[in-house]
Amino acid sequence: MQARRVVTSEEPPNHVAGLIGAATGTPAAAAAGPVGSGRRRRRWPGPFVWASALVAAALVLPLVFLVVESASFGWSAVLALVFRGLTASLLWHTVSLTVCVTACCAVLGTVLAWCVERTDLAGRRWWGALVVVPVGIPDFAVAFGWRSLFAGIGGFGGALLVMSLAVYPLVYLPVAASFRDADPGQEEVARSLGTGRLATFWRVTLGQARGAILGGCLLVALVVLAEYGAFEILGYQTFTTEIFTQLQTGFDTDAACALSLVLVLVSLVVLAGEGAARGRGRTARVGSAAARAGRVRLGRWHPAVQGGFALLAAAALGVPVVAVLYWLGHGGPAPLPAVSLGAAAARTAAYGAAAGVVATAAAFPVAVLSVRRPGRLAAVLERSSYVVLAVPGVVLALTLTYASERYANGALYQTNVLLVLAYAVMFFPLALVSVRASVARAPAHLEEMGRSLGRSPAAVLWRVTLPLVAPGLAAAFSLVFLEVVTELTATLLLIPTGASTLATQFWAYETNLSYGQAAPFVAVMMAVAVVPSYVLGRWFDRMPARRAVAA
Amino acid sequence: MTAATVPADGCDLDVRDVVKAFGSSVVLRGLSLSVPAGSLTAILGRSGSGKTTFLRVLAGFERADTGSVTIGGVVVDGDGAFVPPEHRRIGYVPQEGALFPHLTVARNVAFGLPRGGSRRARLEGLLALVGMEGMARRYPHQLSGGQQQRVALARALAVDPTLVLLDEPFSSLDAGLRTAVRSEVQAVLRASGATALLVTHDQDEALSWADQVAVLRDGRIGQLASPQELYTRPSDPDVAGFVGEANVLPGVAEPPYVRTVLGALAVAGGDVAPAGAPVTVLVRPEQVALVAEAEGAACGAVRDLQYYGHDAVVRVDLAGPAPAAPAAPAGSGAAAAPARPVGPLVVRVMGAATCEPGDVVGVAVRGPVLAWARPHDPEELPECDSGG
Repeated sequence: MQARRVVTSEEPPNHVAGLIGAATGTPAAAAAGPVGSGRRRRRWPGPFVWASALVAAALVLPLVFLVVESASFGWSAVLALVFRGLTASLLWHTVSLTVCVTACCAVLGTVLAWCVERTDLAGRRWWGALVVVPVGIPDFAVAFGWRSLFAGIGGFGGALLVMSLAVYPLVYLPVAASFRDADPGQEEVARSLGTGRLATFWRVTLGQARGAILGGCLLVALVVLAEYGAFEILGYQTFTTEIFTQLQTGFDTDAACALSLVLVLVSLVVLAGEGAARGRGRTARVGSAAARAGRVRLGRWHPAVQGGFALLAAAALGVPVVAVLYWLGHGGPAPLPAVSLGAAAARTAAYGAAAGVVATAAAFPVAVLSVRRPGRLAAVLERSSYVVLAVPGVVLALTLTYASERYANGALYQTNVLLVLAYAVMFFPLALVSVRASVARAPAHLEEMGRSLGRSPAAVLWRVTLPLVAPGLAAAFSLVFLEVVTELTATLLLIPTGASTLATQFWAYETNLSYGQAAPFVAVMMAVAVVPSYVLGRWFDRMPARRAVAA
Repeated sequence: MTAATVPADGCDLDVRDVVKAFGSSVVLRGLSLSVPAGSLTAILGRSGSGKTTFLRVLAGFERADTGSVTIGGVVVDGDGAFVPPEHRRIGYVPQEGALFPHLTVARNVAFGLPRGGSRRARLEGLLALVGMEGMARRYPHQLSGGQQQRVALARALAVDPTLVLLDEPFSSLDAGLRTAVRSEVQAVLRASGATALLVTHDQDEALSWADQVAVLRDGRIGQLASPQELYTRPSDPDVAGFVGEANVLPGVAEPPYVRTVLGALAVAGGDVAPAGAPVTVLVRPEQVALVAEAEGAACGAVRDLQYYGHDAVVRVDLAGPAPAAPAAPAGSGAAAAPARPVGPLVVRVMGAATCEPGDVVGVAVRGPVLAWARPHDPEELPECDSGG
């Protein structure tokens, strides 16, 4: 209890939680668990442990299915499929693009974050809000915008440009948060110790943001590895597009399976590599001084930086928005049977809501366990749920299809239930981060206070715990909802025949080059993305409680 | 005497042999404490001594492994009985206040109030009691640390508690505010007539705030006494050092004196030791005066001095008896010159000290001292047992 004055912003038990939280704007690390309650054992009902174990098992299951399915084809056949020329070329395509996009995003995201958080850039609050918006626009919509306006965009260069513009916020968000939270006093101390301005930037400023940059890069790499729609539009072949093609057109499951194994392996290597690169560094901050250091003056660089921000906004936001508006006004005759926009939107919303509820509910026991009773068991359960990050949507669809055929006689294949389950599994890590942060906002000692004031446990749950946790649950729900709305790959493979969501209908028109018909669906997806972002932003801003709880 | 003067609102508290362990670490090792109704008691202990765990057992957040807790004659924990926190009517004021962040000041204070007609009047009364009348609509994050503490106190008093527990409530306040809030809280508690327990590691806070102070050490109460008694007659050198600065010197008993390096000193309290027996002597820094070299009972060189404004602390490396040390008033003179203390002698003087480091000064002890009938071994100090 005496160490209370030393606020150690230690990474949460799983650092992935922290970085996803930062990337999505949810204060996962900000609301660390109740100070000093770690030592006190509390008797938790077994159901929390059992529920968490069940969830963790469900999340690891796709990987198990993948291995089982591969084994069913015979390993020699699978290995023969793995070791062929196609694999090598796909590997080169995929890895080179992933590395380049990740590097671009790392530089772009860090520079943008530094300009917004640490310089006297004019209009930096406005820019700060604007450069985040692309995170809500689906990658395939950015690709659609560029491809439909500039037909020459494509191949490696096109993929690099589009993916960098679409996903750099995944680096920007955590890095900006880390710049915001880092103690500016450290830079001042470094300067006073005789370190130059540039050396201070390298050794201290970037050192503070190191974990955030690595975390952002991990997310970028995983997104690029899992991307299907954008690459299909741009005509760039990766593991994911090839697996998709094998499944969709060739029904060549053994080849898809072999490629999936390699893709998952690459993803796992990325996931493990990030953890190893991060090391055991942690940031400690003594006291709670909120001193603000002076901002770096841009001086004569100011116009150039403003111009850079404007250019980026035009490329990442302007192009997709203008393309959508342009095609809305130039809709040609519909070559495909028109599907009501309203019907697709309603179905999409229903999927999003169902997946949001399932994922949030599944995340709750895991979050409670890891916050209220941190320990080895909780850490293992929490960690295993992040393995899902290494399973791209296309692989998940493959394994769920296999499992439904093998163990349920195909009864679940292309049903709403299986699709919602797939969504819930895919976006579970996002839900977990938000729920975890919200559970941490209602520390056990507040419940104890309530009880010592003469209220029953049920009354305390209703009057103290729920009001504190509810906004975070809403945020988790919104995040999952948003991701489901813009999900394309798994949806295409798992959606019931004849049904369509906004994304699949957009896809149907787009692949038919009916840009005019495709545009309204993108427009609705973009509009829908604004609402959950707003909810999240409000939640993040309106946290008077946060300080009081964490203080 | 106390029972007659206090209002009967508070209840007395009786704790017997409470043991509490977390896994393999035993935090409370047979703690017993008895507190009269309406009194203010401070639990003084170093970090890790089990202070907070003790309060949590009293509040019902933890259950004692063995032993019993009786409040107002009702066994709330022990012998198979366990009254849950919500039925104990204990006002708990934790560190940092732990106000409900999503509720206004008014709703925080009213959280434990029963629904009914007098609710509003009671709320206003409580806010007035802690001087927070105009703040009812504010949220906790809009309050200063001191205001948060006062709201937390009002909230605890709202349940009309039989016992108020304060867990280092002032430690998060800065020094100036701390004294003010402390005396405000003291006044509020006196006015309410509640029995109160304050946990702290700050001996000034414990001595100035409470009617009685319990020293918590190694999971049990080392000494329970009034502040004056605790300061002047600590049960052992460890307690003496904990409740203030102390010079602990070896000595030889020569009733009614003890012979020390500072000469033969009159003994006012402590244990009775036979003549010639080794004893340990407590000399508070303010009992020592700096005098001219020739007039002191011993002399030494000034090592350093620290100036505090109202007083100053001078540390003197003793060289031995002064050249013209007066003969022991009633000494037989047979005993060998006692060994010198290990460290420097700490002397507190009012105002500024007139000496400088390196000066050779004489020291003299004013007033009677306390002696314990056991040899002094500095190595053993931390392990000293209260029973010894």
